[in-house]
Amino acid sequence: MSETSTSQDLSFFYRFLARCMQYPDPQWMNEDFFQAFFNLVETLGANAEGKEIQVALEQSPDPIEALQIEYTRLFINGAPHVVAPPYASVYMDKSLQGAFALKTLSFYRAKGFAMEKDADLPDHLIHELEFLSLLAQENDLAGEEEFLTTLFRPWYKQFCPRVGQETRHPYYRMVVNLIDFFTTEEKKNGFQCNEA
Amino acid sequence: MAFNVTRRKFLQTASLAAVSIPLSKVVCAETGVTKASLEPKGTMNDTTVVGGLCEMCFWRCQMVGKVRDGQLIKLEGNPKSIDNGTSICARGNAGIKLLYDVDRLKYPLKNVGKRGEPVWKRISWQEALDECGSKLKAVVDQHGPQGICVFPHGASAKYPMHYFERTVGTHNVSEASFFQCRGVRDTAYMATINEAPEEYVDMANAKVIFLVGCHFGENIHVSHTKTYIKGLQNGAKLIVADPRYSASAAKSDIWVQIKPGTDTAYLLAIMNYLVQNKKYNQEFVTNHTVGFDKFSQSIADWTLDKAAKECEIPAAQIKEVADLLAANAPNVTIHPGRFSSWYGNDFQRGRALACLTALLGAYYVKGGWLPPKKPKLNKTSWAAAEHGNEHNLNFNNDKMHHPYAPPGTPTELIRDCAISGKPYPIKGCVVWGQNPMQTIPNQEKMKQVFKAMDFVMCVDVMPTDVTMWADILLPEASYLERFDEIKVGATYAKAGDTEPTQYIAPRYPMVEAQFERKDQVYITNEIAKRMGHEQDIPVQTLEELVNKTLEVSKTTLASIKAEGGIHLQPGKPAGAVPEDFMVQLFSDEIAAAGFPGAPTYIPVENVPAGHARLLFGRAPVHSFSRTQNNIWLHHAMPVNPVWLNNEVAAKLGLKEGDTVGFINSEGVKSRTTTIVKVTPGIRKDCVYMYHGYGMVNPMLSVCGGKGVDEQSLITKIAIDPESGVHGMRNNFVRLTKDGKTLDMPA
Repeated sequence: MSETSTSQDLSFFYRFLARCMQYPDPQWMNEDFFQAFFNLVETLGANAEGKEIQVALEQSPDPIEALQIEYTRLFINGAPHVVAPPYASVYMDKSLQGAFALKTLSFYRAKGFAMEKDADLPDHLIHELEFLSLLAQENDLAGEEEFLTTLFRPWYKQFCPRVGQETRHPYYRMVVNLIDFFTTEEKKNGFQCNEA
Repeated sequence: MAFNVTRRKFLQTASLAAVSIPLSKVVCAETGVTKASLEPKGTMNDTTVVGGLCEMCFWRCQMVGKVRDGQLIKLEGNPKSIDNGTSICARGNAGIKLLYDVDRLKYPLKNVGKRGEPVWKRISWQEALDECGSKLKAVVDQHGPQGICVFPHGASAKYPMHYFERTVGTHNVSEASFFQCRGVRDTAYMATINEAPEEYVDMANAKVIFLVGCHFGENIHVSHTKTYIKGLQNGAKLIVADPRYSASAAKSDIWVQIKPGTDTAYLLAIMNYLVQNKKYNQEFVTNHTVGFDKFSQSIADWTLDKAAKECEIPAAQIKEVADLLAANAPNVTIHPGRFSSWYGNDFQRGRALACLTALLGAYYVKGGWLPPKKPKLNKTSWAAAEHGNEHNLNFNNDKMHHPYAPPGTPTELIRDCAISGKPYPIKGCVVWGQNPMQTIPNQEKMKQVFKAMDFVMCVDVMPTDVTMWADILLPEASYLERFDEIKVGATYAKAGDTEPTQYIAPRYPMVEAQFERKDQVYITNEIAKRMGHEQDIPVQTLEELVNKTLEVSKTTLASIKAEGGIHLQPGKPAGAVPEDFMVQLFSDEIAAAGFPGAPTYIPVENVPAGHARLLFGRAPVHSFSRTQNNIWLHHAMPVNPVWLNNEVAAKLGLKEGDTVGFINSEGVKSRTTTIVKVTPGIRKDCVYMYHGYGMVNPMLSVCGGKGVDEQSLITKIAIDPESGVHGMRNNFVRLTKDGKTLDMPA
């Protein structure tokens, strides 16, 4: 398999993960979405966890609303408090839109990208995944690695366990683990850093 | 999480496309990150934005913002300002941390759980506004406009407040700035000199500055603090009456360690001494006061000895203060104060301060009360309308319960009506920028109000404690993200000026509002449309509101921005006492309303055995509970230690830094604990804390549960009879330590 086609595929994975992190809405969170989602989960062999998500969705009288409530609690405003704001600066600067967000934006710019006017903050997880997707699309493997190492992993490794431990819905545990999986380079011996 | 392959192996599998292609069909077509032209490294896009108007407190210092790549990175005083100049205080600097506070409200939220125990769900503005509009309209349709009560606070709350008051037509509006803060000061002065005093005292030129309860240095308003310091630098003598050795007391020439609640007795004795010894300004009294004889008779029994006993201070010190004031009159500042919801006897206290100023002839003179001549502005808002007094809770047939109430309806009348349903039901509640859980005494009563509602909506920038009681919670653009009100004033622009300069400083956004935060005009107008008042909407945007307000000054937002965010123009000197300026030493009108016509001391409850009076005030780095979650300010003052007299502490076996809780005389315990500050600088019968701490909402990740919420211990409600304003220093506490309650020594 060529490096280019792998990179193109990886680009889709990043974009899909960005989609998974958007606020749940039945317009896109539909049958096709869940089919693709469970297909990926199954391919990775996480059958038990996939089943757990299916049960959680089936048992909820309004599965999308349940995900909306959990999304709000985890990532927007929640009680006891917002669990894991999906912004790098929160972990690196203890603030929204701190210096780390500016560094992230500078990196985008250096690679020839910018933020859309209506976009969220540049260091939002969704935009970082979108950016990785765009780099993968351009087959910029070095850029991807540099971004992951210097700007993504330092905060994501704090964010991911926080969501994993605190979430009340298995869907979000799976999503953050999928992101972890696709953004973690294996060590030289071929194993993931966070291999479970 | 058990994935059975490694990333590398997964990406090397031949079937990769079989997985990725279905994914590609469900991804979002657009991205927030898009291709753009390359910018050279080091491009920062730095700009300085003019026209900031601070709202970390309500003094409205003028600022500029340093913006880098759309991010506000620093706030500074606007160099063009002749008010605060280039100075802003700790809170002003920390505004950035409010702007980018992680806990800030970002999107409209709907509570799908219980009121008070919320489960939040993000919803669209459309859904949120539809719900607010339809629910409030349903209340009006069923119960009439009086079925809505409003708790507003801050600049952004004025426009919606006017909508509900004027257009919808409810009287049931309670502003914290009036009914739990300065309202009684204003109405006392209105009844005495026919004007609200603001803080128009010329401290910079005073020979004596007399502060009764003011604690400048802890309560900081930049330009006001500057004139105070300038006065001290110029040699003014400082007299501070305070049970506590406050920041002002620490700079004083005379510290009067007065018994709490006895200010009026103290002021009466000073005035009586001045009258008896003919040390008052006879010319001013003759020309500009009414009722001197009745007034003199009314206060005649307030001898120095009597006041000394009541106030628990030396008679000689009262005489010393009176003589010092008389010797330096008329150039003396009798500060009217700001916060004045002290003991429920505060109308009389305010009257006493105003009358003392008159006896000293200290109106319209250098160093005295000297109102500036400010530039005029239009009053643009919802059209005023008359709604009669049939549903005005302050009216009892033709008589008013509290005839000297500030604008709105006294809070307690609204709460009683909401809870009892009498004389009519109140079923809809709008909270806008106020946190009634921490501004209004008796939190349990406030909870009952919310429980009695059919619908509660809150608009705020932060998830304060009250927002837990909302059904719909709307995120508002902060003062750094919107146009808004205009500060006007007049002052001497530089040393040596003989004429004052006027300034007009509207608020401009420093940065665009992020996420889905909206301003008050948008939110109010959208609700108004849904309540059937589209035709009454006065302006379409906040920018239009400000421009219309500026019209009379012949300036615009655009022209002032071009001038650096502040318009300056020649002012007029404050001038001599207007001929028709009269001070009601004895007021027949007040007497006819059934209250004492001359300032009168009304004693407050004494401290019960084993207890201490709970006093509170402002922290220099916080504005009440509003700023508690600000991480810079929190680090500067993370908890509110309780001030405890050193002798009392020794008897209780407490030392500096010990952790204690509280239980009040009605059995209410503090939810949290704080640490002890042991000091000789407080009377033995009091404890003191800074206000605003110990917030309960766990959505506040920085400040939640830090320090003690003294408001939770204020369960005994005192109401000033003339004004209906709350008195909040009539509660008594004991300390608790390690599960034991400690009786305060006598």
